Amino acid sequence: MRRKTSIIAPRFVVALIVACGIALIAPRAALAHAILVSSQPAANSTVSGPDVAVLLKYSSRVDLEHSTLTLLDPDGKVEKITINSETSPGSLSAKLTGLVKGGYVLRWQILAMDGHITRGTIPFLVK
Amino acid sequence: MIWFLKDIDLLTVLLRAATLAFEALLLGGVAYLLAVALPAAASQAVEDFCRRGIRMAALALVVGEVALVTASAALLMSGSDLTLKDVTTTNFFRAYSVSILCAIGLWICARLKSRPATVAMLPLSLLVIAAMVSVSHAAARINYRVPLAILTAAHHLGTAAWLGAMPYLWISLGRAANVDEARRMSQRYSRMALLGAATLISAGVAMAVFYMGTWNAVYTTTYGVMIVAKIYLVLAIATLGAGNWWLVRRLASDPKPLLARLRRVAEAEICLGFAAVLTAASLTAQAPAVDVTAQDRLTSQEIYARMHPVPPRMTSPPLAALAPPISLEAAVKANEFAPVINSDANDNAWSEYNHHWAGLIVLVAGLLALLSRHPTMRWARFWPVTFAGLAVFILLRADPENWPLGPRPFWQSFTAPEIVQHRFGALLIVVFAVFECAVQAGKLKARWASYVFPAMCVLGAATLLTHEHAAKVKEALLAEMSHTPIALLGVSAGCTRWLELRLPKSRMATIAGYLWPLCLALVGLILLNYRESA
Repeated sequence: MRRKTSIIAPRFVVALIVACGIALIAPRAALAHAILVSSQPAANSTVSGPDVAVLLKYSSRVDLEHSTLTLLDPDGKVEKITINSETSPGSLSAKLTGLVKGGYVLRWQILAMDGHITRGTIPFLVK
Repeated sequence: MIWFLKDIDLLTVLLRAATLAFEALLLGGVAYLLAVALPAAASQAVEDFCRRGIRMAALALVVGEVALVTASAALLMSGSDLTLKDVTTTNFFRAYSVSILCAIGLWICARLKSRPATVAMLPLSLLVIAAMVSVSHAAARINYRVPLAILTAAHHLGTAAWLGAMPYLWISLGRAANVDEARRMSQRYSRMALLGAATLISAGVAMAVFYMGTWNAVYTTTYGVMIVAKIYLVLAIATLGAGNWWLVRRLASDPKPLLARLRRVAEAEICLGFAAVLTAASLTAQAPAVDVTAQDRLTSQEIYARMHPVPPRMTSPPLAALAPPISLEAAVKANEFAPVINSDANDNAWSEYNHHWAGLIVLVAGLLALLSRHPTMRWARFWPVTFAGLAVFILLRADPENWPLGPRPFWQSFTAPEIVQHRFGALLIVVFAVFECAVQAGKLKARWASYVFPAMCVLGAATLLTHEHAAKVKEALLAEMSHTPIALLGVSAGCTRWLELRLPKSRMATIAGYLWPLCLALVGLILLNYRESA
């Protein structure tokens, strides 16, 4: 039996290189982790203004306090939207007011309870 | 900045994987110390090593989790007006803080060596598991959170007891004072590993049933493909583990050579074990199959249309026929909130041509490596030369919108994660080709030099698995279906080559020596059938 196995022996370094290599094996870029199950307004839909109710449903529990909703208006201006406090887990609701005719993009960034961050966009038209 | 943050997006997933691996090593060390080394009355050298291993793993976990929290915070703040103070109130920040504090506690306990400190390792380890479970899929489920959390905790425990403790056995056997001590430790670890494996597999099966929902999720979702990859790795480890289990039973007869063989096989098991742990980490980056809607699932017809064998494409469309590259600034703006794919039939043909030539090179390399085993075909041992051409090929053709073929400058193009991965892959191939050629020619006689090839195989597989694919869910899954088998074959090639180098002359070493060239050849065949359109 060998008694003098140094923790930084070359073979240990090689093993460490292998371990680091394997450490890359995990993942691909975080794709849609918390999936948007349904949205109101639906993507690429046409809705009536000037007030539009927003209801986004996800496959995971959402940390509403740390999730963000913004609206890109037809002039290219970005406005932050206040998210309602929701009792149902996995849902996010808000109210858009004073929308004029034109194309809008709703941008969402949610933090799921497992720490994953997901982003997406919902383009829609106001008639 | 946006593309830099996409790099961070990728980095967070990598760090999540690393923390899972370090968690397994840390808790595996504690399990080994409490359930194997101390009850087996291990020598002071073994106990000291275990404690040092625990301290190193604890430190690695702390560093990994601090980096992960930092990257996640940057990502969260980049897409919102949240401040650092807001980040400190998130669930992930609290969970990782608890885990970091417990890891520091374990580091202190491992250093103190007193009996109360050793006993305190158990509750601290359980707290680490609880913290990790609170940022798992289970925590985010809308229903069945508690049973899934229990199953996830059991899965982590089983992983630590079986795979996380294995490196400690491997090194302990080399430090044991005598054969009897080595036998006692092997037998105790064997029992613990069996229990750990049973716990890991049964909890894993139960979770898979819940998260998959249906059988066809195995091939219709990315989550299913990754589950299959994980099953492959666990079966490979279990096969080697079963062999070791029988070896341990025979230790009474002729322990010395058997213990040597036990250690060599354990090395490959450790490699596969951590590949399995980190493949599991990739699952945490995927939405569970049960959540994937019908329109985002593949059908059998779609899979057949893309996967059935067709002659490889050996001619390429001209560069001028590709979609014109937009400026880097415009690309960043277009990708600001959701990725944009800008490719047509010519771009697909260009990419397929690249993959098919790469496949031909790898197939030739695998066949030459196989031929070189014959005494009259020794010239074939210079098969790594073929890979040098592959590296140049990747550098020139993989990203035509960048230098040298496209208008985007060389250094500026590094802002795109995919290009970083391509160039890193090319560099790896060059390093590997140079080293392996020198080893085969007998110019490099150092033992560690011969380990570069298996290490590079695993690194190459890892690079492939971290490759970003199309934003479209179905396209990403179709790419996954060809890339995941290649990555698994890469890991297999690395481990079997490692066994061939490390085992004494035996039937097992001979089999391993034939397996890795076959794995290379199979990778070549899969690449030859790679397609980006039906």
